[in-house]
Amino acid sequence: MRSLLGAAIEDEADVTLVDMEAGLEHLSRSGGTLAYADVLLMIMEPSRKSILTAARTIALARELGIPRVYGVGNKARLPDDAEFFEEVAAEYGVPLAGIVPHDADVVEADRRGHVLLDGKGEPVKEAVRQVIAFVDRSLVDA
Amino acid sequence: MKLGIVGKGGVGKTTISALVAQTYAARGMRVLAVDTDSNPNLALSLGLSPEAAEAVPVLPRSLVVGTGDGAITPADLLVRYGIDTPGDVKLLNAMAITQAGAG
Repeated sequence: MRSLLGAAIEDEADVTLVDMEAGLEHLSRSGGTLAYADVLLMIMEPSRKSILTAARTIALARELGIPRVYGVGNKARLPDDAEFFEEVAAEYGVPLAGIVPHDADVVEADRRGHVLLDGKGEPVKEAVRQVIAFVDRSLVDA
Repeated sequence: MKLGIVGKGGVGKTTISALVAQTYAARGMRVLAVDTDSNPNLALSLGLSPEAAEAVPVLPRSLVVGTGDGAITPADLLVRYGIDTPGDVKLLNAMAITQAGAG
């Protein structure tokens, strides 16, 4: 049986986005929530630890049968980190949906517990729009 | 479309989740953001004040893991537990999910 959150609630929205803690446990426990995801975005930062977590999560997501599993490289200091993310994505066979640059406005917003206001963090917002465009294309192609 | 966003703590998952949700909402789509993190921060990233974020009701576990028959309809659930945020994203706090299978 699907949980209420896993099934019918989707009819009430065009996009249901689920913000999940990393790690195998939460993904496997939440069967109703994520087992039926159309797309899973695995957010990584340029660190080996984050990549190892990502690799484990990706394997489990595939076991659960999530049809589209993509990586997103975050906090990238260009161009070196972009290269890092591309190498890692190739190593684990995960398509990269996008690379989001490191941005001082995001650091500042985090420090204050604020949202990114209009006009702030534009390179980050543009990168997120590109990630969304990638996701939208993947749904059309399916 | 159901979109899961996962990542190790500190990678910026919540910031990206909020921006993705707000970008879809800005296109006129109805967006529901569900925070299942045991330390829910999505409310702040979606623009709620710390006070408002504290006051977001947590979905009862029975509704999260239940079979969905009878007790409450999805529409009612959103009315009762969904919180509107400044970027037109509706927020649900379902942190109970991560505790449901603990132990």
